[in-house]
Amino acid sequence: MPDVNLTQLDTTPVVLLIDDSQFVHRLLDARLRSESISLIGEHDGKVGLERAIEEGPALILLDLDMPVMDGFETLRALKDEPRTRDIPVIVLSGMNSSQDKVAAFDLGAVDFVTKPFELTELRARVRSSLKMSALLQMLSQKAQIDGLSGLFNRTYFDERLKGEYDRAIRHGHPMSIAMIDLDHFKSINDTYGHPAGDAVIAGVAQVILHELRSSDIACRYGGEEFVLIMPETNPEQAYNLCQRIRERCETITWARHPTRSVTLSAGVVGADDGSSINCTPSAWVEMADRNLYSAKQAGRNTVKASHINGSAVQITQSKAG
Amino acid sequence: MNEPDPNAFSLDINDPEDAELIEYFLGELPERVSAINSAVTDEDIKELGRIAHQLKGAAPGFGFPAIGSAAAQLEGSIKELDESFADMKAVQAEVESLLSLCQSYITPK
Ligand SMILES: [Mg+2]
Repeated sequence: MPDVNLTQLDTTPVVLLIDDSQFVHRLLDARLRSESISLIGEHDGKVGLERAIEEGPALILLDLDMPVMDGFETLRALKDEPRTRDIPVIVLSGMNSSQDKVAAFDLGAVDFVTKPFELTELRARVRSSLKMSALLQMLSQKAQIDGLSGLFNRTYFDERLKGEYDRAIRHGHPMSIAMIDLDHFKSINDTYGHPAGDAVIAGVAQVILHELRSSDIACRYGGEEFVLIMPETNPEQAYNLCQRIRERCETITWARHPTRSVTLSAGVVGADDGSSINCTPSAWVEMADRNLYSAKQAGRNTVKASHINGSAVQITQSKAG
Repeated sequence: MNEPDPNAFSLDINDPEDAELIEYFLGELPERVSAINSAVTDEDIKELGRIAHQLKGAAPGFGFPAIGSAAAQLEGSIKELDESFADMKAVQAEVESLLSLCQSYITPK
């Protein structure tokens, strides 16, 4: 089971080189080999733009002087296209006039490297652009991340639920969500103090992340409440997943209160076929909340699940692990 | 225009990465030479300019700054030509010095 990767900083960044000269491709391929990047290439601006949309590279190295569609035109197209607008572009050119540099910067290039390349300079510029784009990416993700748990926050959940809901409807795919609430959390705060409560929130978040698949989305909904979006997952599978989280949580020994275990309850709602859904995303949240309430009523440390149309979920024995 | 320092990009044949680039460039050279020859035969001044431009940018990085300078001179002379009266003879000297330089690497003396 892959770990959920929140920052994506540890993946090799893809760098797209758009240059009409095979010499330049060959040269940069050799000279950037020692950098931890994956270099892909195209030989003209038009195809380069398509490739950029397709791959979403972390950085584009763009030749200014190309037949068919030159670098300025390509740069303009990259900045007009919403899917490539934010990708930093370093312009490569043999033309060394300051006019070209100004024009390229005006069009949104972040940097400029002159051919023939000075190796150390080229590598330094590539590195600094990649670092900058990773930091920017991290900042924009930070705004969506809950500081204590490291999970996505409520704002992100609302946005993402809408997106996944639309996708499930469009493709007629299964989808489930789960509302999770820690049992008797207030008494942990009251008995052992808020730092202990915070440690529980962070610890349960780790359990959730560990059990989720990489396509699932975990958010902190508020206080001691979490919510999961599980695309491509029917309610039976979502039920089993939540049972695993519940079982795991129960067995944790907490450093600040080793004799006091923490349990959680969950309400799951889902659909086998998104095209049959005819309610709003907020109705999903309400339904999951209702199932959570009945899990609490049933004595806590319990998972309750149902189909969005109200029918019961066939419970099969969850496989261990 | 900034002329590249001819010694700044000399490569080390004993370094495997450098050797790979030198070998690649030498392997490509015969093709470029015949492309220059065809452009001259076809009196295709635009194509000749394009080849010169590419060699100017590439050669120094592969350890051949002299070819880069010769190509730069050819490109410069082509740019000065009036396009409507472009005549191959006007750049003959530059073409020949670039070709003989390339040739010297293809068949070492
Ligand atoms: Mg070019």
